[in-house]
Amino acid sequence: MSERGVSMNCAEAAAVLGAWCDGELAGDAAAALDAHVAGCAACRAEQAALVALRDQIRAQAPRHVAPPALRARIDAELGRAFAGARADAPAAPTTIAAQAKEAVLARVRTWTRDRQRWFAAGAFAGAMLAVVVGALTGVVARHWGGDDVAVAAVESHVAATLGGHAIMVASSDRHQVKPWLSARLDYAAPVPELADSPFVLAGARVDRLGGRPVATLVYHYRLHVIDVFVRPLADAGDAPALTMVRGFTVARTTGAGMEWRAVADVEPPVLAAFVEQIAQTAAAQSPAGR
Amino acid sequence: MTDRSLFEAQVLPHLDAAYNLARWLTRNPHDAEDVVQEACVRALRYLASLREGGARAWFLTIVRHASYDWIERHRDRDGGDGVVEIAADAESEPAQIAERRGDSRALAQAIAALELPFREVIVLRELEELSYKEIASVAAIPIGTVMSRLARARALLRQSPVLHAIAPRRNGGGR
Repeated sequence: MSERGVSMNCAEAAAVLGAWCDGELAGDAAAALDAHVAGCAACRAEQAALVALRDQIRAQAPRHVAPPALRARIDAELGRAFAGARADAPAAPTTIAAQAKEAVLARVRTWTRDRQRWFAAGAFAGAMLAVVVGALTGVVARHWGGDDVAVAAVESHVAATLGGHAIMVASSDRHQVKPWLSARLDYAAPVPELADSPFVLAGARVDRLGGRPVATLVYHYRLHVIDVFVRPLADAGDAPALTMVRGFTVARTTGAGMEWRAVADVEPPVLAAFVEQIAQTAAAQSPAGR
Repeated sequence: MTDRSLFEAQVLPHLDAAYNLARWLTRNPHDAEDVVQEACVRALRYLASLREGGARAWFLTIVRHASYDWIERHRDRDGGDGVVEIAADAESEPAQIAERRGDSRALAQAIAALELPFREVIVLRELEELSYKEIASVAAIPIGTVMSRLARARALLRQSPVLHAIAPRRNGGGR
């Protein structure tokens, strides 16, 4: 690990292989290691073994996801801790809009602060603000009589959440969820995973919507459970981007040849931005990521 | 921003990371839930010490403390390094991935069998993808110790008999 980084022997190389593997080895030392490894078969094999182990752990070791029951317990804990504070009961439309705006601004602040490598932050923030403006000017549709599918989606969401069968395949790994769904449906539903996002893939199930089986992806967002119904565009008619049904938000968009409908008790702007983001992610991931 | 919205915006997005760490440290799903709940109570109490941008490492530090307290309290029950519980997450396990799960379970067992100081650095590094600096902060050890523990943990995993059973099937895997 000499400062000059000109030469490195096997012992020195062995000492920094781990750091190299973890992306923690800086310029000179990394260059010296590269030079040594290029000419030393033993160290090259050691390097390959470390990389293989790392890849194996990341691909196979389970990353456990907080179960819904735990989220409920923490929600109750928060309720107790802030019992004096104003309860977030269903509020008047003006308050909802104000809360939504505050939530969006808070999220934008948090995300831009938290991570620079958040490539989509700008676009996402823009989309959210656009939706907020829409919500503030009263574009949000309420009681959309003709949209039976939204009602069916909400009923399915409520039944699944109350009945505790929200997730049939529990995994935060889309490479496990996707084949599970494909085996049960006559179409391949994309399963977008959002890196570095508070929306975490938790699993999936198969529901019936409009008389046909559909893929239902389940995401966790803070303490909320979001169901995303994904079906081919060919099966879907037109519908409004945002609908409120029995207090639940239904946000709809299209992308990657699919119709995406997200259902949750989440503020409309947040859910609308989320459904846009997963549809875009699916479109970006589907050609190469298959 | 109120304390509650600060907690919801900064801490709750890391709930899965918290549960994952607690689950690996306690090696039990129910105890991991108790630990994370306790960690949330502590996090609320010490919310003032949360600094901008460092919410994940901050919260995981609290979760780690809560896990160690739990392990200390229940040392007798498990008889030290006793039962290793690797419960499958879903009963409706899809057949397609059952084969993969074989490897996955062996790997999980090998990691769960590591002693605590080695297990935690592997989980923080490979599953939570924390930097050396963040691991040093969460585990309260110098960066040099992070490096040596990771190296030791990896050496132990590569020697692990359960992993050896599956190693021949992958190229350049075990040894």
